[in-house]
Amino acid sequence: MAVSAVFKTDMLATIPSLRAFAVSLTQNVDKADDLVQETLVKAWDKHASFQPGTNLKAWLFTILRNEFYSQMRKRGREVQDSDGIMTARLAVHPSQHGLLDLEDFRGALEKLPEDQREAIILIGASGFSYEEAAEICNCAVGTIKSRVSRARTRLQDILKISGEADYGPDAISAQVMGSTAA
Amino acid sequence: MFQMTKKTIEHGATGQRANGVPDPLGANSEIGRKLKQYYDELISDDVPDRFAQLLSQLERSEPAQKKD
Repeated sequence: MAVSAVFKTDMLATIPSLRAFAVSLTQNVDKADDLVQETLVKAWDKHASFQPGTNLKAWLFTILRNEFYSQMRKRGREVQDSDGIMTARLAVHPSQHGLLDLEDFRGALEKLPEDQREAIILIGASGFSYEEAAEICNCAVGTIKSRVSRARTRLQDILKISGEADYGPDAISAQVMGSTAA
Repeated sequence: MFQMTKKTIEHGATGQRANGVPDPLGANSEIGRKLKQYYDELISDDVPDRFAQLLSQLERSEPAQKKD
């Protein structure tokens, strides 16, 4: 039986979400688009294993995620580990307002280890339940919960630290602070 | 012109710590709101044509027979 037109239409409808998730994982639009492309091809091939009536979006997210990690393993594992990230990137510069601006947030999100970032994205942004996220990540619900919670704490830490001047002010934030004070 | 030193600080969102049931990423949380804003921006990005083309291509090249 041919892949149904409905399946194709549904896949198309999921692409914006898939891309958003892919960008969240790769932090790079070009890589993300390649990843989405791979995912669509894989999904098409595996079409027979999709059970109609179940959550197509979750199914596609699962494929995309698996593809992401398998590519990463092939490439010799540039996977981020929890430590070392803080030092590897520039500190988030303090926003000029009390509220976070989106750039600050993006910078902070980038500093999270992948497992935490994907968990907080799936739960906080993609609209999945903890159960669905656990299935997508192939782990226990409790694991997702703890990753989300660690991610959130970490984001708060990073963003709060950046807002206070006492944490190793780098040249750029010093400049920013200096010039706005004039 | 130089009103940059003026700081508007809003405390409302940050100090929330629900003791009972957590919606740690809900609308009351700054992190939760930023997360959605970040993601919504990504979602509303224009989707390149290549994906629709790819699917059409897959559809065309699909062999007629498939198990069950």
